[in-house]
Amino acid sequence: MSLKDYRPMMERCSNCLGCKWIPFDKIKSQRFGENCPSVCYYNFNTYSARGRFQLAQTILDGDAEYTKKVTEVVHSCTSCGACDVSCKICRYNLEPLDHNIALKIDAVEKAKTLPVQETIIGNLKKEQTMIQGQKRIDRMNWAKGIKVKDILLEKAEVLFFPGCKYSYEDGLTEKARAMVFLLQKAGADIGVLGKADACCAGRAYQMGFEKEFEQRANANIEAVRKSGAQVIVTPCSDCYYAFKRLYAKLGLNVEVVHIVEYLDRLIANGKIQFVKPVQMTVTYHDPCHLGRQGEPYVAWEGGEKKIRNQIHTWDPPRPRYNGIYGVYDAPRNILKAIPGLRFVEMERIREYSWCCGAGGGCSETLPEFSSWTAAERISEAEATGADTLVTACPWCESNFAGAKNQNGNKIKIYDIFDLVRAAL
Amino acid sequence: MEKIQDALTRIVGAENVCGDPKVLSEYSQDKSFAPGLPPRCAVRVHNAGEVGAVVKWANETRTPLVSVSSQAPHYKGDTAPGVPEAVIVDLSGMKKILSINRKYRMAVIEPGVTYGELLKALAGEGLTLSVPLATRAGKSVVASVLETEPRLNALHQWCDLDPLRCVEVTWGDGNRMFTGEAGGSVMDLEQQWKEDKWQWEPAGPMMLDFYRLLTGAQGTMGIVTWASVRCEIMPQAHKAYIVPARKLEDLVDFAYNVLRLRFSDEFFIMNNTQMAYLMADKAGEVDGLKEQLPPWMAVVGIAGREILPEERVAAQEADISEIAQNCGLKMPEAVGGISAEAVLRKAARPGGDASWKEIYKGAFQDIFFSTTLDQTPKFIQAMGSLSSQEGYPVCDVGVYLQPENMGASYHCSFTLPYRADCASETGKTRELFVKASMMFSRMGAYYFRPYGIWSRLQLNKDAQGYQVLQRLKGIFDPNGIMNPGKLCNY
Amino acid sequence: MALSREIYQAFEAVVGARNISEDIGICESYRAIPCQTSDHRGPFKQKTPLPQAVILPGSTKEVQGIVRLCNKYGIQFKASTTFWSVMGYIGSDYSVQLDMRRMRRIEIDPKNMYAVVEPYAIGAVVQAEAMKYGLNINIPGVGCSSSVAASTAGWVGFGPQTIFMGAATENMLAAEWVLPDGEVLRTGSLGAGSGWFCGDGPGPSTRAILRAKQGTAGSMGICTRVAVRLHPWPGPAYIPSRGMAPAYKANLPDNFKAYTLCFPSWDAYAEGLNLLHQAEILYLGHRQFTMFGRDIKTAMIKILNDPDGQLSDLEGYVNDPELKKANEDMKIDIQVIIAGMTPRDTEYKEKALDRVLEMVGGWKSEFMMDPEIKDWVLMYLLRMGHKNLNYVMCGGYEGNFGLSGNVFVSSSVMEEASALKKKWEDEHDYIAQVGGDSDMGSITIMGGGGSTGWEFFTHFDSYEKESVEGTAEFFNATQEWMNQKKLGLDMGKWNQSARRPDGYYFSQEEQDEMFSKLAQPLVAYYQYRVREAFNPNNLCGSYYRTLSKV
Ligand SMILES: Cc1cc2nc3c(=O)[nH]c(=O)nc-3n(C[C@H](O)[C@H](O)[C@H](O)COP(=O)(O)OP(=O)(O)OC[C@H]3O[C@@H](n4cnc5c(N)ncnc54)[C@H](O)[C@@H]3O)c2cc1C
Ligand code: SF4
Ligand code: SF4
Repeated sequence: MSLKDYRPMMERCSNCLGCKWIPFDKIKSQRFGENCPSVCYYNFNTYSARGRFQLAQTILDGDAEYTKKVTEVVHSCTSCGACDVSCKICRYNLEPLDHNIALKIDAVEKAKTLPVQETIIGNLKKEQTMIQGQKRIDRMNWAKGIKVKDILLEKAEVLFFPGCKYSYEDGLTEKARAMVFLLQKAGADIGVLGKADACCAGRAYQMGFEKEFEQRANANIEAVRKSGAQVIVTPCSDCYYAFKRLYAKLGLNVEVVHIVEYLDRLIANGKIQFVKPVQMTVTYHDPCHLGRQGEPYVAWEGGEKKIRNQIHTWDPPRPRYNGIYGVYDAPRNILKAIPGLRFVEMERIREYSWCCGAGGGCSETLPEFSSWTAAERISEAEATGADTLVTACPWCESNFAGAKNQNGNKIKIYDIFDLVRAAL
Repeated sequence: MEKIQDALTRIVGAENVCGDPKVLSEYSQDKSFAPGLPPRCAVRVHNAGEVGAVVKWANETRTPLVSVSSQAPHYKGDTAPGVPEAVIVDLSGMKKILSINRKYRMAVIEPGVTYGELLKALAGEGLTLSVPLATRAGKSVVASVLETEPRLNALHQWCDLDPLRCVEVTWGDGNRMFTGEAGGSVMDLEQQWKEDKWQWEPAGPMMLDFYRLLTGAQGTMGIVTWASVRCEIMPQAHKAYIVPARKLEDLVDFAYNVLRLRFSDEFFIMNNTQMAYLMADKAGEVDGLKEQLPPWMAVVGIAGREILPEERVAAQEADISEIAQNCGLKMPEAVGGISAEAVLRKAARPGGDASWKEIYKGAFQDIFFSTTLDQTPKFIQAMGSLSSQEGYPVCDVGVYLQPENMGASYHCSFTLPYRADCASETGKTRELFVKASMMFSRMGAYYFRPYGIWSRLQLNKDAQGYQVLQRLKGIFDPNGIMNPGKLCNY
Repeated sequence: MALSREIYQAFEAVVGARNISEDIGICESYRAIPCQTSDHRGPFKQKTPLPQAVILPGSTKEVQGIVRLCNKYGIQFKASTTFWSVMGYIGSDYSVQLDMRRMRRIEIDPKNMYAVVEPYAIGAVVQAEAMKYGLNINIPGVGCSSSVAASTAGWVGFGPQTIFMGAATENMLAAEWVLPDGEVLRTGSLGAGSGWFCGDGPGPSTRAILRAKQGTAGSMGICTRVAVRLHPWPGPAYIPSRGMAPAYKANLPDNFKAYTLCFPSWDAYAEGLNLLHQAEILYLGHRQFTMFGRDIKTAMIKILNDPDGQLSDLEGYVNDPELKKANEDMKIDIQVIIAGMTPRDTEYKEKALDRVLEMVGGWKSEFMMDPEIKDWVLMYLLRMGHKNLNYVMCGGYEGNFGLSGNVFVSSSVMEEASALKKKWEDEHDYIAQVGGDSDMGSITIMGGGGSTGWEFFTHFDSYEKESVEGTAEFFNATQEWMNQKKLGLDMGKWNQSARRPDGYYFSQEEQDEMFSKLAQPLVAYYQYRVREAFNPNNLCGSYYRTLSKV
């Protein structure tokens, strides 16, 4: 859908600005009641989902244009989808998140981008990664020294897709190897894409670079199709979302699971057993693209149908994606299964979780904003009394770690896999 | 220029204009320490038309008007002219109860209607009204609600100004209108009733809250010729209790816990002295009663009205006594020889012509202000210290605490009896009154109803607020004819 | 005319560069498109004017600085907080829009039961903070997304809990307010530094100029802090919940009871409501779900309670015989909540409620007593967090036939009003066909009972021109009918005297023309005098109804 196709939604948005808050029913305090990093940081309503609907209308009408400020507004959305969940508490015919991205796509089409975005996308095109300064040629270095099948050469049931962060970054490459090792030990038949492994480009999509995304996505889908894998396992929530939702829409037809789901299954059927106590008080951050945006893709093609004169419905019924079927229980099951670990919840969890700030490319494009967003989450984690904040996405983890270092917080930041290893 | 009396005679008739110096001197000074001046004459008015004509004339001749609705004696200095040559507008003869509506629990009354008269008429319709503590027989209901006198049942006060709702007012500039809901449709009560409108909502009718300009105004803005008041269903079951305490602090917790849950109907706190003044039939009984009574008491009334009255009383009785227990207190029906029921009877009904506070020494001076309940011990302690410093017997200081506006604030009142015929006692009391008033002001007391010297103490603290008041006064009483000399002359 | 550099920089010096913008995109997003939201004037298409700048003050001092500059340079201004309704948007070209979002502090005095709030403290968060102390706040019918201060300063502020807690005008204690001339007024006990506990006096109340039955809709300066009375909350420190979005359900203890009371006739309904006003047993009372329409309310309740529910399920449910029966059962209904302060209190209130029903021949809807639905209703009405459901069906709604007044008067015309609406639903396709009666409203708009406030929800498509215009036609017909019945102004037109259909404020001449026809024109005349005194440069627009001469 192009921006103008959202016009009915723009005009039916009721201006309630509920999209600035977590679902009201869930508010427990003022401090942690809001949900949209963008409007919280920049303050003008324009930065909210509602503001974006109205901004888009005026752009379509020619009343406003992509000024420098407007361009920043458009790209300062982390694509976290918190607004989407809150909106859908009451509304059944609006898609604020899709619209936010459509607005970005429109801006990108008109070359209204943030300076860093061009570099990032240039790198994506050239080196097929989101990680600045990294080369395509080095992508599989992470797997050096471990025994894992190249799935394009040797059939395997499970395709392990580490994503850019785990492929390149210090500290993460080692973890990627450990993941493969653990899965194999638990009996999984694992393969990797080898030379065909490349960025999922989910983040390019989140930034509005639709064409670049599609190019990469089609290539990746083709590689997966060729691989014959039955399951894709990824430890990255952005990749998970790309495969689960975006690629599914483009025709990928393979089961996609995040590593936490896979580990949860292995724990449930006894293939992984924890033996060492982990004496930590832990709180868990739901990554946006694993949680509320991690719902399975449901194919839909249809249109609007009015009943009873003016009540608009979708024909056939359109999937609502209101966040409830995201991956929430698997990580919690894992944490609760770890001996000695005390698990505490933050106020904003599951479908109404606060974003880490890294989404939408913002950790690179608007680093101050992104880091502030992460710091907000760290404050929330600290308010629970937890000594450790864990997550299940390398983008979240590194954004939290950056903010923690910047602000001198004491809380420890881990990926959930780190605690799993510690308990083995 | 036409003589004042002739002009007024044309408006109200000779029989309603009084120039008799003896009568006028009664208007000139009330029983408070506030100074007053003799009026030029007094007119008895009987309807809004006459009021309008008097106000018009007063504007033309720049004559100060002081409106009076209650019968004498007066105690707060507000109706004693503050400037010479004033004309008293006596509304006490406007005695019509214009409507009582059981279904909507509303009554519309003229200013001369007293509590005794209204309560009697209401009872006939199965209604009643939450009243100020043991008000005197001649007190005008309209004056009382305009003065925002605290009432025994704070939980039926949805705001500070309840039970006052709508009024008919002639402003100082001579314009007449209805306020609140009544101001939103035709200026004709009969017609409004025909349309099933019962002068229910007080505010507005639009964005300017007219009736709030009249409350606490001591007649400085306009003259009210009827007011509607929100009534209550007459209780079918009604019980009373006294919760005795050695320390006020214990009752403070108790009061917070009871009102917080919206339990009780009547509720107030008194020290033994004030209770003795209230309950004694003659001066000689006071000291004995004081001896018998515990130092502090909360009086709690529980009423059951239309729906399952007995059950309501029983449930609240059990719950409130549990709260008392949790505060280490008991909730008997009688204490020190007085029954709670008798206290409530006395508190909730109009008494004699004069105030019961005169019973001990023949005269008294009250000091009262608003504060929050947690602040009251501080004021009471300070009053004790100041009294002994000033040589006023501390044990004669009556204390009465009345929750207002659902308990958001408390009317904190001290009664200082004295012998008016003893110059030194009078002087000492006056001295104490002035010093205490200033001390409380410094301590953060809020003279919500700023009579006499309190007006300067209070209004001087807030120049901006005072300036806003002056601007409003300039709009509604441009020639400054309404009770000048009050509220710092604006 | 854009702001000159000198003026822009002067504003910038007050709030800092980060908190002011004149970017076209930012400013455009601060325009209201009235048919997309509710202004109680009927839907129409034009946008409100474009502000010259949007400014976000962070303190009373900054607000004062801005207002003083506005006076100096003759710039109109308007503050708004949540921006849901059109009344919060500017109405002239040479104006700045203030967004109060940066001012959000809440201080609670748990003992004396009040909260001092800044404008961006919305109902939901003040409630959440109050609940930690066993207290609660009156959340107006607009829902918990609205600002407590704005509801107090700006509009009427009554809602489902008003029966127990009173309306905004009653709950308002002391306030701090920047008047339109830039002076700061502190009312009541606050002015003298005694605290926030009393909003009236000393002597006559200066708060008279700040609000009355309704607030001043941003036309009498800017409220920067206000104390509001809190009320008992006999529940846990927050509302525990279960269930999946959007059908979250409250897990409250047994002292909370939610019922839908049904009545055999409108007479019995009026009698019952009046008895409930007198009985002092309700924590909350609201005719809520009929807002979807008499024929479809149970179907909508089913959809909303199902995490997978869709509006396309509607027709299936509407024809379900069980749901039809439940609809019929609760044709004349109201939702109520009892909150017992103690077990005895709960028991008494339950019994008393039954007694009222017995007296008027009413009953409790079985359908609504299903524990899942009951707990959903508790969540819905106690938090008031689903108000955007007003717009769920078509994206647009506006209240009409709004009658705030005596329940006996309003209920006596309910069927006739329903029939008129149904006729329009059946004969045209502008508005949703829901069975005529789509009445919603609070059991009272005043503490302890008194007038009720109701409106018929008219659902229209804010995207479709014919629907928008047809709805306007329908509202004209409603007004005609109301005129015949001498029922006053249709709710859809309440604010028609505040802003022109093109989104601009009225001139004084236009106001004079309108308000000289009031039954008591002095009301608007004195408002004029007050405006002259406190807003000498007339900077806040025509929501303050004024008549320059009588
Ligand atoms: C869907 C819907 C339903 C509604 N239902 C009800 C209802 O049941 N009961 C009811 O009483 N009202 C109702 N309203 C009106 C509503 O009360 C007001 O819109 C709301 O209470 C005001 O709060 P807000 O936070 O939305 O204010 P805003 O939209 O921010 O402002 C409302 C008004 O207050 C002014 N204002 C805002 N902040 C300040 C300030 N700091 N100082 C001075 N003025 C200020 C604004 O200029 C504006 O005129 C409804 C409105 C809508 C849109
Ligand atoms: S997706 Fe996230 S950042 Fe973007 S507008 Fe919605 S809530 Fe805000
Ligand atoms: S996007 Fe949804 S939540 Fe936000 S204002 Fe519009 S309708 Fe409300």
